[in-house]
Amino acid sequence: MNVNPYLPKPAKLIETVEMTAIEKLFRFEFVDEEDAKSFSYKPGQFVTVSVPGVGESPISICRSPTRPGPLELLIRRIGRVTNAIHKLKPGDIVGIRGPLGNGFPMEEMKGYDVLLIAGGLGIAPLMSVLQYVIDKREEYGDVMLLYGVRSYQEALFRDMAIDLVKYPEKTGVKAFLSFEREDPVFSKLMEEHPKNVRKGVVTVLFECADPYIKPDKVCAVVCGPPVMYRFVLKELVKRDVPPERIYLTLERRMKCGIGKCGHCVVGGATAIRYVCKDGPVFTYLDVLAVRGLV
Amino acid sequence: MRYAKLPKERFTELFEVLERFGEVHAPVKKGKTFLFTEVMSPSEASLSYNRTMIPPKKYFVRPFEEILKVKVGKGYEPVVEEPKKVVLLGLHACDINALRVLDSVYLDEPEDPYYRSRRANAFIVGVSCEPDEYCFCKSMGADYAWTGFDLFLHDIGEVYLIRVGSARGEAVVESIKRAIDEPTRGDFVKLRDLELKRSKMFKRELNASLLPDIVDSLYESEVWAKFSDKCLACGTCNLVCPTCRCYDTIEKIELNLEDGVRLRRWDSCFMRSHALVAGGLNFRPTRLDRFRHRYNCKSSIEPKTNMFFCVGCGRCSAFCPAGIDHVDVLNSLWGG
Repeated sequence: MNVNPYLPKPAKLIETVEMTAIEKLFRFEFVDEEDAKSFSYKPGQFVTVSVPGVGESPISICRSPTRPGPLELLIRRIGRVTNAIHKLKPGDIVGIRGPLGNGFPMEEMKGYDVLLIAGGLGIAPLMSVLQYVIDKREEYGDVMLLYGVRSYQEALFRDMAIDLVKYPEKTGVKAFLSFEREDPVFSKLMEEHPKNVRKGVVTVLFECADPYIKPDKVCAVVCGPPVMYRFVLKELVKRDVPPERIYLTLERRMKCGIGKCGHCVVGGATAIRYVCKDGPVFTYLDVLAVRGLV
Repeated sequence: MRYAKLPKERFTELFEVLERFGEVHAPVKKGKTFLFTEVMSPSEASLSYNRTMIPPKKYFVRPFEEILKVKVGKGYEPVVEEPKKVVLLGLHACDINALRVLDSVYLDEPEDPYYRSRRANAFIVGVSCEPDEYCFCKSMGADYAWTGFDLFLHDIGEVYLIRVGSARGEAVVESIKRAIDEPTRGDFVKLRDLELKRSKMFKRELNASLLPDIVDSLYESEVWAKFSDKCLACGTCNLVCPTCRCYDTIEKIELNLEDGVRLRRWDSCFMRSHALVAGGLNFRPTRLDRFRHRYNCKSSIEPKTNMFFCVGCGRCSAFCPAGIDHVDVLNSLWGG
């Protein structure tokens, strides 16, 4: 029997970082050194996390492969398994399968400007791309981040976001931040940086970023709640960003993560796709051909 | 193709050789329908049957099976299964083609090790058949199995004309060579005539040309709601479908709170939970969505085999408790 693709590899929880009331950043390390050595991934890929006795959940990797270290996963406490993950303590053992999925084509994106558009928890998979392009700054053109959050309290990586807005020269990233609910911290930031911070949903940031978006040399990378994609795509299409250079990473129910169990299947009869295996990264060209992708 | 001829009265000799390979399973009449189960003698097998209720997929992906052992708080170990050799005697062409479709999924990288092992340990003997009022395999291009079997028996009267599909099949034929004859030109003519006759017997017809595009592009057609309103969303069509392969995984722990298992069981895209994600968002929230999803999935083409995901076996129509007929639904979409 070859390697069993259903078998999770043991990993130990090293530490957690509180992010919001419902989200924590988890750092895991493989127990077996061989597993740690053989684990290499691309930005945008995901793993499954198993809590022995509870079950398994697909989670995107929230750290760039250019930054060696523990496996970082940003997890929202939302279902049965993720609730169990939130109860784990450092030293506890989980099972990890992966990396799974296709990931973002970072090679193909070389030489292009990178426009990251994240809504809420959508920042988690995009973090791996953001760190990657920061670490390989000379290989990519301008880097822009359009980040929409509900409020300061609910914002993930809020200190990083504020830093990116305040000190663009540190990373070379042009960051734009939108928030929906009034609060003193973001309101003050908006006063200080009216060109970068707006009130509203993420699409209000396009106006701010417009001077920097050059459709002939930009790749857009989008992740957010399912409802967000249609609105963001409309803005990108309006700005003539070519469909093959708009990358979206999508959520679906995934059980096996390797294109067998069928839960994440999308599409009409002319084009059926497994989000776990053919995705989770798709282009807008795929969206045009595959029914129900967004 | 390598051909051989076996007189029916010497079928026992073939059966005995097959038994040496492994447990022989064949269709057996059970109540009003047929079932693949172990047979101890040729007389127990019903080789002229219309269809079994549960397709042969049950031998490769079990309705309910353990895939991992769980140690609570510690981790997982694979369930190691002793390979068991099985002869599946009497598969129809549609079911053989359905296994090829399943292969394209389960043997695609990364391979499913459980499926791989069971598939390698199964000896497939096909048998010719005649269509009944539900069969539409001819429309789906699955009425002919040209690969995917070790032996294929064509009933041409007094004898079986055998197509030999593998080296294992050849070895079996070789080991009963006293009973085997070379087919004559007359036998092949008989095969031809019977096949032509069979081909004209199909009562159900579905226009499969452009079918994926018709099903996909007429997504808004009122035909879907007309049928999905009748649908009980029971999932019977999924269970009896030879190519439906969705499974759910469940983790269970023993009362000692230390040991457990991760199981998988056949799932159905008609269940509300099928596309439901944590947090409550459902990507196929209505029965209409789920109904259309199944028909889109079945009407799509598997890119490696170039075969439809539906092989036209007729089970979903024959066993639907609401009386929904797969061909009727799609023919209605064609405007029929």
